[in-house]
Amino acid sequence: MTCEPKLIVTDLSASAEDAPILRHVDLTVNAGEAHVLMGPNGAGKSTLGHVVMGDPAYEVTSGNIVFDGKDITGLSPDKRSRAGLFLGFQAPVEIPGVPVSSYLRAICEGRAGTGDMKGKQFRRHVQKLAETLDMNPAFLDRELGVGFSGGEKKKLEMLQLLLLQPSLAILDETDSGLDVDALGVVSRGIEAYRRQPGATLVIITHNTRILEHVDIDAAHVLSRGSIVAHGDAALIDDIDAHGYEQFAALPVAC
Amino acid sequence: MDTAVLHSVNAMPAPTWHRLAMNHATIDVPDDLALEHRADVRCDPALFGEAGAFDAALRGLQVHTFGTPEAACSLDDAKALVERETSPAGQDGFNPLDATALSAFQTRAAAVEVTRSVAGAFETGMGPEALDFLREASGAAVVLATAPGDAPAQASVRTFALEGALNACAIDVAVADGTELDLALTHESGKVSRGMIGSSLRAYVGRGATLRLSVTQAAGEGTTVLDDSGIVLDEGARLVVRHSVLGGDEAYGGLACDLRGTGSQASVTTRYIGQNSQKRDFNFVMRHRGEHTASSLNVAGVLAGSSEKTLRGTIDFVRGCKGAEGSEVENVLMTSDDAVNRSVPVILCGEDDVAGNHGATIGSMNPEQLFYLESRGLSSQAAEAMALRATVENAYFDAPDSFARAAVVAFGRVHFPDFEESVA
Repeated sequence: MTCEPKLIVTDLSASAEDAPILRHVDLTVNAGEAHVLMGPNGAGKSTLGHVVMGDPAYEVTSGNIVFDGKDITGLSPDKRSRAGLFLGFQAPVEIPGVPVSSYLRAICEGRAGTGDMKGKQFRRHVQKLAETLDMNPAFLDRELGVGFSGGEKKKLEMLQLLLLQPSLAILDETDSGLDVDALGVVSRGIEAYRRQPGATLVIITHNTRILEHVDIDAAHVLSRGSIVAHGDAALIDDIDAHGYEQFAALPVAC
Repeated sequence: MDTAVLHSVNAMPAPTWHRLAMNHATIDVPDDLALEHRADVRCDPALFGEAGAFDAALRGLQVHTFGTPEAACSLDDAKALVERETSPAGQDGFNPLDATALSAFQTRAAAVEVTRSVAGAFETGMGPEALDFLREASGAAVVLATAPGDAPAQASVRTFALEGALNACAIDVAVADGTELDLALTHESGKVSRGMIGSSLRAYVGRGATLRLSVTQAAGEGTTVLDDSGIVLDEGARLVVRHSVLGGDEAYGGLACDLRGTGSQASVTTRYIGQNSQKRDFNFVMRHRGEHTASSLNVAGVLAGSSEKTLRGTIDFVRGCKGAEGSEVENVLMTSDDAVNRSVPVILCGEDDVAGNHGATIGSMNPEQLFYLESRGLSSQAAEAMALRATVENAYFDAPDSFARAAVVAFGRVHFPDFEESVA
């Protein structure tokens, strides 16, 4: 495994509507590693994922984000995506009128590999990936997210992960609201992604079950907008056993 | 070159401010257009009905509804009656200043109900002027009729633009009690510099019967399309409509549904795009007359360039339609500051025990949608272009028959070089 840094977040602070949410966050994720980001509700975990992806709903008030050696703090989300970043959404949006197939085709356009595929070849490729995620091929003709169950939406997120093959994927509570079967499918998707060379993963979750099939290299605890603890996979078991109360008294950055 | 003018097409139920330019559409019809009535019709020959089948079906509904084949009175007599009742001048102690001031629309609407005439109340979305024009231009109507006990039937009608011509087609449909008909209308054009396509559909859907109507409009530049429908639903009848409006310099669409039978249902889904300086003008009317009737209008589209769109959507709860429900939802994605959208949702309530809803979202993509798409590598411009193309691709996936699929592919090929292979 290589130890080159894939993502370096330094002194990152961010706010939404003038309310500070992230405070001086430092985080380094090396290429090929799998990290888990945990923390109580409202700690700022999803915000961190969104800020790294460039969500304009948040204002970066200090610090920077370096991805593959380049400062991407001022880069638009589409350029971050094209650079190899991926954010799996906790609540994927619905876009009425846009068939899934049209959407998938559009997001792959201009990308190496899938972007060069002809129509039928692309469809076959998508269908093959869909099969690994137990998705009915008929979903391709449905409107994006419209009428999808929670499980279907998350499977579609995983499908895009496998289709786009980003070098760093941040999965924001991809496991939330899933039943056991759907959780198994999502876990399979994560495993498939991890088999890609250099695949780097940051999993934001409350549920340690999804981590059972992933070798975690590092765990981080976010509380009140700051990272208050770093550790290896043993930290996950510790949180499982004792909860987040133990971190409540720790000082956070101001 | 002289031009005939249709002065009042797709008119609102009652006019609003003239300056808003949404009361009605005006259509110029050049006099030098040749009249054609050519259409390709594909169906089981047994589905062709006798001329007059639609009118006969309405007479049957008249008897079923009012117990008599005759109207109670003429519309003029009914209007006079309504005016007398609301302004009983001459009565002892009546002060003319106390008279209820009814608009021309209110008087007519009340009078139509007083006549107790199913045929007299029949209407199409584009209105009487367009109905007369299209019927006259079309020649003999294609008549499609199912018979009780028939298996589900399908019919396809393709009309197309011809150079320098108005090619119009009239279709009368009678769906017998308990039967089902899938009717696919396709309007298309190849390379014409100037032409018009017209279609005029009158349909009756019998008790417990279903009509699924799909209209695919994939006309090219230089074409004006007039697509007019009027549909009457009997007890427990069901109407499902899907419009895909893709091309044509000007596209006018009208649909009026008389939900007369108890428990009848109508659902209309319309998807459209407007590009360059194209004009789209729609008028949909859901007239609830029967108890526990239900209607749904769902219209969504993308407006680019300096295109213009007007949608008038009316849900009318006529007195007596207890328990009726109607909803109207519209989404318009505007990808250009020069595009113009006009939306006129109207809910008329003449009955207390009803539920009517409408909602509209008009503008650019919302920030959450945009961020989602951007996070997958699409710039805002690419996201909007995708929405435009997706409407065409959706039309392909929803195309009910080979006529419609071929028309959408031909249209898509003009606008997106790789369209065919992307949907194949």
